[in-house]
Amino acid sequence: MRELREAKGWSQGELGEALDVSRQTVNAIETGRYDPSLPLAFRIARLFRKPIESIFDPGD
Amino acid sequence: MRRSDMWRYRIGVLALMAVYVALMMLEWPYARATQDNGGKIALALLPVVPVLGTIGLMGWRVLRSDELEQRVHMVALGVATGVVAAATLVGGFLAAAHAVALGGDALIWVFPLQAVAYGLARTVLLRRYGGRGC
Repeated sequence: MRELREAKGWSQGELGEALDVSRQTVNAIETGRYDPSLPLAFRIARLFRKPIESIFDPGD
Repeated sequence: MRRSDMWRYRIGVLALMAVYVALMMLEWPYARATQDNGGKIALALLPVVPVLGTIGLMGWRVLRSDELEQRVHMVALGVATGVVAAATLVGGFLAAAHAVALGGDALIWVFPLQAVAYGLARTVLLRRYGGRGC
């Protein structure tokens, strides 16, 4: 997710605002410390216009 | 949680705590001295009002939080409940055995103990998720 965010030129805070979550939550997802819920994962996929499985690997 | 909501929460808690401290300093001493039972109950319970307001604000904060923040709040609350349960159980048994003298005043410390345990648990959990722990 970090690569997709950086490709858009967004900060973690800006992505957090777009997803209606905190910057800390974006950071926790990017560093693999937290797995988002299915609804949030779908919101992330929709925002980046990517299939969910191309962003999140269930093996991680 | 949005930054503006966080500010509203902090200002609300600070205002309520200021009311609580003022009540404890100015009104509470009269609670023991008052002879009338109704007045005594009213004066004794008055400081509870801002504390109930704070608990309400904490609930508002949890509802405004995102999913990770809510998870941290809930786990920290669970840890704090365990700490309070253990401490009150130990204190209760010691008092029942007359090993220590604990009056009803000790109940006043249940909420502060819960709040401190909650804050510490939350700090540890936030660090675990890569936050600043505040």
